[in-house]
Amino acid sequence: MTGDDGFARLLRAEWTKLRTVPRWGLTLLAAVALTLLIAVLSASGDMHKGGGGPEAPPGAPRKFELRDLPAGGTVTARVAALTADRAWAKAGLIVRRGDQRHGPHVAIMVTQGHGVRMQSGGENRAAGSGGAPRWLRLTRAGTTVTGYVSADGRTWQRAGRFTVGGLTGTVQAGLFVASPDDVKVVRQFGGESISGQPTGDGNRAFFDNAAMTPAPAAPWPAGRIELAGGGDIGPDRFAGDETRRALSGTLIGQAAIIALAVLFVSAEYRRGMIRTTFLASPRRGRVLAAKAVVLGAVAAAAGLAAGFGSFLLGGGNLPPLSDGAALRALLGTGLLFGVIALFALGIGALVRHGAAAITIALVLLLAPYIVATGLPVSAAVWLGRLTPAAGFAVQQTIERYDTAIGPWAGLGVLCCYAAAALGAAAWRLRATDA
Amino acid sequence: MEASIEVRGLRKRYGPALAVDDLTFTVRPGQVTGFVGPNGAGKSTTMRMILGLDRPDAGTALVGGRPYRTLRTPLCAVGAMLDASAVHPGRKARDHLLWLAHSNGLPVRRVDEVLAAVGLESAARRRAGGFSLGMRQRLGIAAALLGDPPVLMFDEPVNGLDPEGIAWIRGLLRSLAGEGRAVLVSSHLMGELEGSADHLVVIGRGRLIADTGVRELLAAASGDRVELRTGRRGEAMTVLSRAGATVSAGARDTLTVAGLSAERIIAALTGAGVEFSGITEHRATLEEAYMELTRDAVEHRAEAS
Repeated sequence: MTGDDGFARLLRAEWTKLRTVPRWGLTLLAAVALTLLIAVLSASGDMHKGGGGPEAPPGAPRKFELRDLPAGGTVTARVAALTADRAWAKAGLIVRRGDQRHGPHVAIMVTQGHGVRMQSGGENRAAGSGGAPRWLRLTRAGTTVTGYVSADGRTWQRAGRFTVGGLTGTVQAGLFVASPDDVKVVRQFGGESISGQPTGDGNRAFFDNAAMTPAPAAPWPAGRIELAGGGDIGPDRFAGDETRRALSGTLIGQAAIIALAVLFVSAEYRRGMIRTTFLASPRRGRVLAAKAVVLGAVAAAAGLAAGFGSFLLGGGNLPPLSDGAALRALLGTGLLFGVIALFALGIGALVRHGAAAITIALVLLLAPYIVATGLPVSAAVWLGRLTPAAGFAVQQTIERYDTAIGPWAGLGVLCCYAAAALGAAAWRLRATDA
Repeated sequence: MEASIEVRGLRKRYGPALAVDDLTFTVRPGQVTGFVGPNGAGKSTTMRMILGLDRPDAGTALVGGRPYRTLRTPLCAVGAMLDASAVHPGRKARDHLLWLAHSNGLPVRRVDEVLAAVGLESAARRRAGGFSLGMRQRLGIAAALLGDPPVLMFDEPVNGLDPEGIAWIRGLLRSLAGEGRAVLVSSHLMGELEGSADHLVVIGRGRLIADTGVRELLAAASGDRVELRTGRRGEAMTVLSRAGATVSAGARDTLTVAGLSAERIIAALTGAGVEFSGITEHRATLEEAYMELTRDAVEHRAEAS
């Protein structure tokens, strides 16, 4: 079968069917409008708190002492002492771009109870034993940062190396002190509440011998440098996914997409119109394929409008559109609506009864999402991997403690469900009398 | 493309019930073939099998020499109206025809032509949900005519129509057959086909009862009975019996005479000097012929079992 074997005619016929029932156009608009409405409501009820703990009052010791570092250079310092009450309290050197915790960075540190370590992104590697006092050094060559450690400032040992794509241009480098937050997660049906208490206010680190090549414009303070405070560095696995929050209206908007997709086929069964359809095109599998193409494209367009609209109206601390993960989430929302429409179309063609098919599709797509929040994380992630609701993973932009599956893998799971539903529907169409 | 429908040994079973049982008939071009039988006789099932909607358990149904499911632009081969209510109520009449036209690559101008042909131009931009039954029938017929097909099939097209609508459909059927098309029209009332059908395929309980021309059927059913009205019944009976007729007395002063033509009855009565006030040749209606036919079929079945 080739493309010009009448399939274009079928596409045109199905598109004409879709656009000539005004109620269906309104349903599509409702999908976008509902999504946007939730986005606006959730933006005004935004409870986000900035990560990293409260700002230090003026004059008090700070947590960071940073200078600009060009594409090639070195920063060195000695951690003279670290006083803290927890094993994961840490002090050391960091090279980072931007002040977001999940932004690109490489750090080398002395910890209270876990030796010398190097960290980038979510990765934290052991790089030696013992604690302060200790000499540390980070050498940057473009996007590659190498860490060194020394006991006396004369003989250096390589501790590790990270290449981080985001570390371009002039970045910031210098000293830091940090300590992980005390995080309490309360999960209940319909949502979660996370209360993070920055700890380690008693955290105190003393540095000396701070130096940078090339020399920074603003010189380092002379003598001992004291840094203090709580809050951690690196990605926060308990941070809110702002992009995903802005897109949370799609959970409601999908209901309209499901209704449209199911009605697009079940309405034909209700009135016996399916016979007229099969009289005009006796090859039934191709009719279903044409319906899927037309509906999937229309739903994807609605998903794009809903996604980008939510992002614009979403307020809060949303990343810029140039952010790769955010852009993936927005384009992914278009694909998500498209695949949800195909899944619902398959169920509609299989069940042939509008109300029943809408209920089934909605339960399979929405219920796992709600139930998951009431389950332990270990069980919830399996719901997020195995049910059609996995498709919503394409909207996540950061990795969290409860992340079930990668963005594309999640969408892939939903695609498998859609393919199975459409396949079963095609089989039933061919095998039974119309 | 050949304008005909050929049904050979068609059989369809729904659970324990045999809906269509070894049915064979041919619908020829240039005439209207009535497809008659009581409700539940298997007419609609047969039509659905011809149109590739239901799969027969045995036998074949060919349209223009080919199975329906192998047709690539079926609307140009066969036009069919099965169920006039099979229209989405939210869609405008013209849009309903438009998607049908697109599906078979027909020009949009055909949509307006068939709307005019069935007299629906003024309702073209109204939603089908607000249509009367008669308007829906016209829309269904417009859809059947869309591809200008040589074969047409209508399932109970006059069901629920007013006399004006029935007259219109009769005229339409005659003109379609006059253009050389093969037209198959089903009905559970034989009377509806009076004056429009040339040929009849009669089925009962899924089996073929008769496959005959309308003229032959009527002649057979009418016999040569003559109704006679006279004040002198006794004398007339004697005279006509002697002349070789079978005479039976009817109501008041009427006699029913069989076995003699009207001319010979008049000659015999005049010769014997018996006065009469009226004489009419009896003509069976299609309905009567059909009753006779199905009664025979029922008796045959009773004897056989």
